[in-house]
Amino acid sequence: MTDSAKLSATTTAIDVEVFDPPLCCPTGLCGPVLDTTLLDLGETIVALQAEGHAVTRHMMTTDPQAFMRNREVYEAIKARKLEVLPITVVRGRIVKTGAYPTLDELHAALAAAG
Amino acid sequence: MTEFLFFSGKGGVGKTTMACTTAVAEADAGRRVLIVTTDPASNLADVFEQPIGHAVTAIGGVPNLWAMEIDPDKATAEYTDRTLAPIREIFPPEIVRVMEEQLAGPCTAEVAAFDRFADFLDPAALFEPTAPGEATAPAGFDLIIFDTAPTGHTVRLLELPEAWTRSITEAEAGTGQTCIGPAAAIADAKAKYERALAALRNPRLTRFVFVLQPEATSISETRRAGAELAKLGIATTELIVNGVIPREEASSPFFASRIAMQERHLAEIARQLPMPARRIPLLDGEVRGVARLRAFAPLLSDAGAARPVFGTPGSSHSTQVASSDVDAALAMLRPSGRPRTIFFAGKGGVGKTVVSCATAVWLAALGHRTLLVTTDPAAHIGAVLGATVGSEPAPVAGVEGLWAANVDAKAAAVAYTDRIIADAVARGRSPEAIAGMREELDSPCTEEMAAFDRFIELASGDTYDVTVFDTAPTGHTLRLLELPIDWSRQIDVKIFASVEATAADDVAKARFGRVIEMMRDPAQSTFAFVMYPEATPIVEAERAIRELGTVGIPLGLVVANMVLSEDVCETPYARARYEMQQRHLVEINRRFDVPVLQVPLIETEVFGLDRVRDLVGRLFTTPSLVA
Repeated sequence: MTDSAKLSATTTAIDVEVFDPPLCCPTGLCGPVLDTTLLDLGETIVALQAEGHAVTRHMMTTDPQAFMRNREVYEAIKARKLEVLPITVVRGRIVKTGAYPTLDELHAALAAAG
Repeated sequence: MTEFLFFSGKGGVGKTTMACTTAVAEADAGRRVLIVTTDPASNLADVFEQPIGHAVTAIGGVPNLWAMEIDPDKATAEYTDRTLAPIREIFPPEIVRVMEEQLAGPCTAEVAAFDRFADFLDPAALFEPTAPGEATAPAGFDLIIFDTAPTGHTVRLLELPEAWTRSITEAEAGTGQTCIGPAAAIADAKAKYERALAALRNPRLTRFVFVLQPEATSISETRRAGAELAKLGIATTELIVNGVIPREEASSPFFASRIAMQERHLAEIARQLPMPARRIPLLDGEVRGVARLRAFAPLLSDAGAARPVFGTPGSSHSTQVASSDVDAALAMLRPSGRPRTIFFAGKGGVGKTVVSCATAVWLAALGHRTLLVTTDPAAHIGAVLGATVGSEPAPVAGVEGLWAANVDAKAAAVAYTDRIIADAVARGRSPEAIAGMREELDSPCTEEMAAFDRFIELASGDTYDVTVFDTAPTGHTLRLLELPIDWSRQIDVKIFASVEATAADDVAKARFGRVIEMMRDPAQSTFAFVMYPEATPIVEAERAIRELGTVGIPLGLVVANMVLSEDVCETPYARARYEMQQRHLVEINRRFDVPVLQVPLIETEVFGLDRVRDLVGRLFTTPSLVA
């Protein structure tokens, strides 16, 4: 199977996907200092889920294949390496790179994506 | 079918000896046996007198017997390699390198060592060649013997299958995140931990033997650990009561007193721990090497078997080896113009707690405001001092100027969680987000982090003139002491953070930095290794001192504990033990380039404040140092 064939299926039933940078712990709660950035993300995700949106986080350690399934994401990482992460995808399309999204940004992106 | 046999108990009671002897006897009987140690400061290689390490290794001279020492560092490297393999295939090297740094943190180490342990309880995993050398090991053992770390940490290790399973289950229902990754992705791990737990709870598969000695702390620790295991649904199968002094030694008043003490405790054991119990006599020498294990084995299956004679009396030393320089030794324990922190470390059962309590009582009597802290989850300082000791420093009744506290991981985790949740509420996080944080904090990671946080707090305070740490047995103490260094490094490799988070990181680094500096500075701290004069505690201390040296922490003092006085050793048996100790005391003076303080074995156990004071009187009476 060629790379392009493998990467072509980008459609997904998930509204919002967050592709994390390399992280030991995704919660922000396991280090000696709380990671408020990750706690903010957790709160954003909980809020979106409460509104009925399907949200998924992808981590390299546990699901590296997810980073290949979305062609746009894979190409962005190959081209821009670490600085492009985290990547936020709304309904299959990248809407933000290099930082986690806020709830307002996600609301706007979801509205724009229809 | 593979059977599992656990040997647990307080440090120094003879777990390794009993486990190794059983292993040799079972292998000699034709069963295929693997002995695995979960103690990071393993003594298996010392007992078998051959290198073992982190691979299933054939034991020379015993067909059918293999051994492995789970090495947390190597387990972590394997775990990291396994995790990184798919990442290497997909991502550019820059990203792989950062992932490696992320995985080098202390959290990974904790998960990895546990994960490796769970492998051995999981028949499905045993056939995978996951370690170098393992491919040559036979599949399908009849019996796997676990020689465990001292009870405090073993209870925790055995709690982990349930704790991780619960943490993953809660995450599945909630935010989907755990501190080892998204719940959905670690379903395999969860299934493995559930199988491990099922095996532990199945009495037809798993037998659990507690080794203990006829003395108060050993009995109370066994009772407590047995109760904790029962909560997990793991039943204790039987007891081995080790170190029973032969009755005929009662001809000496000194040994008569110790025998009488043991008799009282033997009666207590029968009353408090009603289950099958085998009594094993204290031998006249050390049980090391396959030949001695074989000579010792009959005693394990038959209480009436003849006691082997290992001692070599006659090689008499003309004079008893004395403490090297008492003044210099005691000077290492006193504050010199600025606060001092003293760490008593060493193998389980060498008497760290008694020495810590005696030192703290002595320092308080000299007028120094003294805090005594135990970081050992088995926490015996309260029992030895005859006082109530909790997780907050509190005055010790009857000793002016002395405060004491336990670092209790469970209590610390509750306080830590409450503090984080209160902070989240103050920041106006939503109730749903806070509920998610609560689930995520209900994880084994939190307990370790909270206990570490508490250690840093107590080690960096300036309220006391002296802080005395009674530490857990070697393996786990090394990890605790290296955590400030590991976490500082981990903060350095953090990928990005908000301005606020960076400020918080700087505060944490400065806090760790102060503790690291204190531990490296002999003017502020003293590392004292406690050992009794036998080979295993000496080599274990040597290894630990070497490891601390690599992170810049110097040895300050050696305490040689439980030293027999020549005048009480009259019979050939007592004489043989005396000679053995004297040979090792010469070795201790030769191997450690610091003052050596000897502490005599006294005719009673040191339990209760009066006995501690009595020991202080005998130990710390050098004229030049009496206040």
